[in-house]
Amino acid sequence: MAKTELRKNVKTEVEDRSSLKGTLASVFLLGFFLIVSWVGVFFLFLDRF
Amino acid sequence: MINSADKLKVDRRDGKLVMAQIYVAFIALLIGGLAGLLQVLVRSGRFELPAGIGYYQILTVHGVVLGLVLTTFFIMGFMQACVSKTAGTFTTKQRTIAWIGFWLMTIGTVMAAVMILLNEASVLYTFYAPLQAHFLFYLGLTLVVVGSWLGSAAIIMKYAEWRRANPGTPSPLLTFMALVNVLMWIVATLGVAATVLIQLLPWSLGLVETVNVGVSRTLFWYFGHPLVYFWLLPAYMAWYVIIPKIIGGKIFSDSLARMSFILFLLFSIPVGFHHQLLEPGIDAAWKFLQVVLTFLVVIPSLMTAFSLFATFETFGRSKGAKGLFGWFKMLPWGDARFAVPFIGMLSFIPAGAGGLINASNQMNQVVHNTIWVTGHFHLTLATAVVLTFFGITFWLVPHLTGRVLTKAINKLALIQGVLWAIGMTFMSGAMHAAGLLGAPRRSAFSEYGGAPQAAEWIPYQVAQAVGGSILFLAIILMLYIFVNLAFFAPKGEEEFPIGEMSTHAEPAPMVFENWKIWMGITVLLILFAYTIPFIDLIQNAPPGSKGYNNLW
Ligand code: HEM
Ligand SMILES: [Cu+2]
Repeated sequence: MAKTELRKNVKTEVEDRSSLKGTLASVFLLGFFLIVSWVGVFFLFLDRF
Repeated sequence: MINSADKLKVDRRDGKLVMAQIYVAFIALLIGGLAGLLQVLVRSGRFELPAGIGYYQILTVHGVVLGLVLTTFFIMGFMQACVSKTAGTFTTKQRTIAWIGFWLMTIGTVMAAVMILLNEASVLYTFYAPLQAHFLFYLGLTLVVVGSWLGSAAIIMKYAEWRRANPGTPSPLLTFMALVNVLMWIVATLGVAATVLIQLLPWSLGLVETVNVGVSRTLFWYFGHPLVYFWLLPAYMAWYVIIPKIIGGKIFSDSLARMSFILFLLFSIPVGFHHQLLEPGIDAAWKFLQVVLTFLVVIPSLMTAFSLFATFETFGRSKGAKGLFGWFKMLPWGDARFAVPFIGMLSFIPAGAGGLINASNQMNQVVHNTIWVTGHFHLTLATAVVLTFFGITFWLVPHLTGRVLTKAINKLALIQGVLWAIGMTFMSGAMHAAGLLGAPRRSAFSEYGGAPQAAEWIPYQVAQAVGGSILFLAIILMLYIFVNLAFFAPKGEEEFPIGEMSTHAEPAPMVFENWKIWMGITVLLILFAYTIPFIDLIQNAPPGSKGYNNLW
């Protein structure tokens, strides 16, 4: 019994080749690191002066 | 736009000029590295310098030879190579000017070095008054600066020639970048030339008794901050233009790169007060203004970070990378021309974080003159910049000497980079930590009379020595690689990698080449940031200081 099957639920993985979401995530991580280190020394400053 | 010059090698005569400067840079690396090793050993408290050699003499050697000599020579050579490659071979006149510049720089370096070795100039590489050196030391440094002006002149002349021959076309990106750096350098070195010629030379010759210390330090830092950008911008040239080609990708954006270089030109100079935040004689309001200008440099720095991430991600995705960070794995980790500068880029993240802290006005009190600062610039200069210069060396030297980077040497180069990263993590990490605990920079080992606070620093100083020794091994390895590439590697053609724009990119707007605008704004910002505080420093000066020499 031939059954033409429309394979509907194959995920169409069209990840956009020009996507820059990794870049976005990276700059957010970078920004986060800058802020955390700054705040760390800022509290040291408040503690000492 | 691909022009035929892209396929050509750097002309042999220009290659000789470039190599001459790179030889001096690597001799400097050997001497400076040795001094660095001695410093960390002394500071660990387990070693004393033999034959009455002083710690501050060694430290002066290290700072001058690595901070001033290695950098200036390598940078002039690299920029000249870039200009010769992208804007065309130098004319005989241009090349002769550059050669005269090279010889002046070399003679100046030898003069300064001899005075340091005679212990007549142990004034550290910042040569702050009232520490006083023999006049030949100052004269030598003057020759280095004047020589670098001639090397710069060759670049400016080539740029002007290119623009005349190609009206209405943006200049080649690497030439544009070299030009920005050279313009910034010339404006900046006017400050150090002024303090040396007007203040320090006459004073060291005994023609005048005293020196205005505040003015001399202000002129020094007017030069000193752009100096660090003079080191950094050539690394950025490699990151923006050369690395994309090495990994097989495209330049993310030509215009963004030009824009960020222009911003560095504008904001690198009127910010020297951020090195003088704890100095008397400068009104707090002017310090604050320069702190604000300093934070504007964050903009082009983050633009650079964004642009690099984007280059890497675009490349990875073009190779089919999936997910948020899949592109990271696609990068050519086995290629030292990429991987070693990449370690440099990574180190720039903690380096930048430290920079924000240093510049944060009141917070500067936490770290000022502690060894934290030394930890900071061993990340910026001695890792980010230096590892990028090594990465450049891996292809530039064989390109110029008609040899190739072999698989075996590439492997050694990777080991070299990893060793550097490990050594620096220990040394710089320990310096940062000890600095936060108050350990001073520029100080030989001392137990400070058994003070408990000083005892806390000692374990970090031992860690510093461990890291510094690993770094020294990495330097020896690098020298071996350099000698191989310069004299022994097999003959062949090594590529001069220059990134291309993506095909649908617009040409850069011509406004970037309008130097009347950019130099005009640069000068206005400098006048705005410096005129009134400078008048203050002169009019309300305390009595001048006599010179102090041969203190150690
Ligand atoms: C073997 C590798 C290195 C070691 C072990 C080392 C170690 C050190 C140490 C311990 C200090 C601070 C000493 C003090 O403040 O008392 C120092 C200062 C310095 N280092 Fe390095 N360093 C190395 C490589 C480099 C490189 C490659 C550069 C630059 C290209 C560099 C540039 C400087 C500068 C400019 C200073 C400041 C000197 C001063 O404060 O007068 N170092 N180094
Ligand atoms: Cu600075």
